[in-house]
Amino acid sequence: MPDMNGAAGALAGLRVLELANESGQYAGRLLADMGADVVKVEPPGGEVARRTGPFVDDAPHPDRSLFFWHYNFNKRSVTLNLETPDGRALLRQLAGGADVVLETFRPGYLPGLGLGYEALSAGHDGLIMCSLTPFGQTGPYRDFLASDLISLAMGGPMASCGYDDIPGAPPIRGNGYQGYQTGSHFAFMGILLALYWRDVSGAGQYIDASIHEACSSTTEVAIPAYTYLKKVAIRQTGRHAAIRRTRPWQFRCEDGVYVNLVGGVPRGAPAWRAMVDWMDGQGMAEDLKQPAYDDMFRKRTLAADDPMAAHVGDCMAAFFATMPGLEVYNEGQARGMSIGIVRAPEEALADPHFRHDRQFFIERYHEDIGRMVTYSGRPYVFDKTPWEFLRHAPRVGEHNVDILGGELGLTGDRLTVLAESGVI
Amino acid sequence: MHQQSGRVSIEHRMPLPHSFPPTRGPLAGLRIVDFSWVVAGPQATRVLADFGAEVIRLEYEARIDPSRIGDAATTAAPGSVNGGLLFNHFNRNKFSFNVNAVHPRGLDLIKRLIAISDVVVENFRAHVLESWGLGYEAMQHVRPDIIYCSLSGFGHTGRDRAFSTWGPTAQANSGLTMMSGLPGEAPAGWGFSYMDHTAGYYAASAILMALHHRNRTGEGQYIDISQIETGLVLTGPAVLDYTVNGRPYRRPGNPPGNRSQHPAIAPHGVYPCAGEDRWIAIAAFHEKHWQALRTATGDPAWCREPEFEGNAARVEHQDELDRRIGEWTRGQDARSLMVRLQGLGIPAGMVQNAQDRMEDDPQLRERSAYSELVSAELGKAVHETPAPKLSRTPGDLRMPPPLFGEHSSYVLQELLGLSDDEIAELAGEAVF
Repeated sequence: MPDMNGAAGALAGLRVLELANESGQYAGRLLADMGADVVKVEPPGGEVARRTGPFVDDAPHPDRSLFFWHYNFNKRSVTLNLETPDGRALLRQLAGGADVVLETFRPGYLPGLGLGYEALSAGHDGLIMCSLTPFGQTGPYRDFLASDLISLAMGGPMASCGYDDIPGAPPIRGNGYQGYQTGSHFAFMGILLALYWRDVSGAGQYIDASIHEACSSTTEVAIPAYTYLKKVAIRQTGRHAAIRRTRPWQFRCEDGVYVNLVGGVPRGAPAWRAMVDWMDGQGMAEDLKQPAYDDMFRKRTLAADDPMAAHVGDCMAAFFATMPGLEVYNEGQARGMSIGIVRAPEEALADPHFRHDRQFFIERYHEDIGRMVTYSGRPYVFDKTPWEFLRHAPRVGEHNVDILGGELGLTGDRLTVLAESGVI
Repeated sequence: MHQQSGRVSIEHRMPLPHSFPPTRGPLAGLRIVDFSWVVAGPQATRVLADFGAEVIRLEYEARIDPSRIGDAATTAAPGSVNGGLLFNHFNRNKFSFNVNAVHPRGLDLIKRLIAISDVVVENFRAHVLESWGLGYEAMQHVRPDIIYCSLSGFGHTGRDRAFSTWGPTAQANSGLTMMSGLPGEAPAGWGFSYMDHTAGYYAASAILMALHHRNRTGEGQYIDISQIETGLVLTGPAVLDYTVNGRPYRRPGNPPGNRSQHPAIAPHGVYPCAGEDRWIAIAAFHEKHWQALRTATGDPAWCREPEFEGNAARVEHQDELDRRIGEWTRGQDARSLMVRLQGLGIPAGMVQNAQDRMEDDPQLRERSAYSELVSAELGKAVHETPAPKLSRTPGDLRMPPPLFGEHSSYVLQELLGLSDDEIAELAGEAVF
């Protein structure tokens, strides 16, 4: 059911206004990917995320930030200066026709301009408005300054990430803006939950999304370990933080590539036999063919400090060190073990399962730079309402004429005046 | 296309003939058949259950969810299947129905349950469910508008579809593991299954979008999610740096530890504080942050050295800068320092472990991030409250994590209408 813009996704026909910085732009993109018409409202000159690199050919330019490109494709852009009465009036007009408003300003900023949920939903009860901020709209830390690093620190993920074999090593922030993305996932889910309720009742609502709470709900065993055992999980190199030291999971292969296997040894007797056969085929089974090992793997769980399991792990490490990482990965998976290969992000491009068979990556010509661009693609495959790549990220204010002119009826002269007076 | 605008089937919203706690959540009246286990699938259905859906876990002792029998609560009975830490964390608000899916009469019961449900979720490796006779077509046969969401490691198509993942497998293959660590060292990786949480968030989101589509059109659908692909979407700018600029992430100096490459700013790091394993993150995005940090430190001589004047110089001399800041933070209490720096307008945050968050974080306390549920076996336990906060239809904590098979009679008698004799007969055939 393609809509007037050609989108066939499950959210086609929805209009979203996105007033989001680098912390929330991904929530808007997730909506846009499924067909929502996401109009990014930026300050004149462009959103601050446009000034974050890397840039095309390393030349900083607001329309050439690859960071911006990734998080803003499928959207359109208008510019509005909300510090001006005309800018605010135009935003109110746009909000009147929107199903969803997503914003990331500091708490109280939009209400102070007369653009909060109360004001925008007056006479528009179906409006869904989501505020995504570092700490939420209330509470003693609500005005604290944050960033991806600060959110991952305070929210708990970093307490579980790092090294146990490098003295003095700090907790480590996993890179790639995972704090912002986790916050965006929660904002996205909140908007979809509210959308379902609007389908049922016709009523919109306000969503108060906190990156701190999103990160704090994304730390797996840390919370239940403290709840039920009053233990704080210990950071460990290349494997899960745990309530006690565990065997290593991460193995360095012959070519320097790392692989991992949760638990460090095969899980269950069939996987164990496949592992021993593999090692035996290379003459590296050592003493592992003894029935005692088979018996051990028939048990459901192995203690973290089991000496026989430690010996198995040592033998596997020596075995994997004789082969390239890709061979360990492919052969181990073929033998039924969930072995992972520690890849750089770009190395997945060479994986035919994702690149060719599943067509995960998106290749499109970008006329501004005159070459093909390959993007990371979709997180899900729907059989009826497809995820789609419809357009590259917009240039600053690229759709001012289409939207402010075409939809709100401003004339070309009026748009010129607004541009000259710094409103758009 | 059969347009039925605004359609929400009335039969789904009938009051249920039982006395389970009511919900204020938006998904009240929806029923989810949940085959999922371990973490990723249960994370997806936790979101749906927290916001009001009736999530029915299908469980069978011979294929028990490993999270039920992993590390257990101290209050669990020895050998219990109800005490697992992760099970209890991810399965509150859900129902448990004990049934053998590979027994023909068990399969028949499951099909009858699917016929009165909205969504089926599973996170087996590809095609396990199909091999039991429960592929998408079989589900559609009993429930034409069913939404079927599969969450497997590699997806349902492609040459490696029989391969499998845990969270760390997906983190490794997608690039996330490599992006976490100190330069020149082994990857630190993610010390937990970030991609089990996150694949679960994508699955929950996909189901919600499919429900929206069904509300508009009456049409269900089939959703194929690969856990690795939900990780691959999270490294986008690094992929573009390679495909546009030809710059690989695997290069000397990567990963950058806690330093910031984009934007290139300094200081941006994590520094030791007083006590065992106490740390604070500090970042200066603008010159004013650095100037405020100088004020905070009392502006000693080292702050005024030319190598720290201007962001570019600080970036170039980060090793020395980080050493100096670490010497200054080392003796200080992490939380008081954070509050003090924030008061001066400096982005700063202590590294909080679970104890810090659950006991000492005034922000989480003020926002009621934790609340209690009472379980028959474990007693009173603290749970995270649902986030985000929806003003009209908030999520809620209604029921403790289910005991194994706790709701079997509800499902068999009230939902499927079986008599006591029929139930006894099925029990005799080892269907439960």
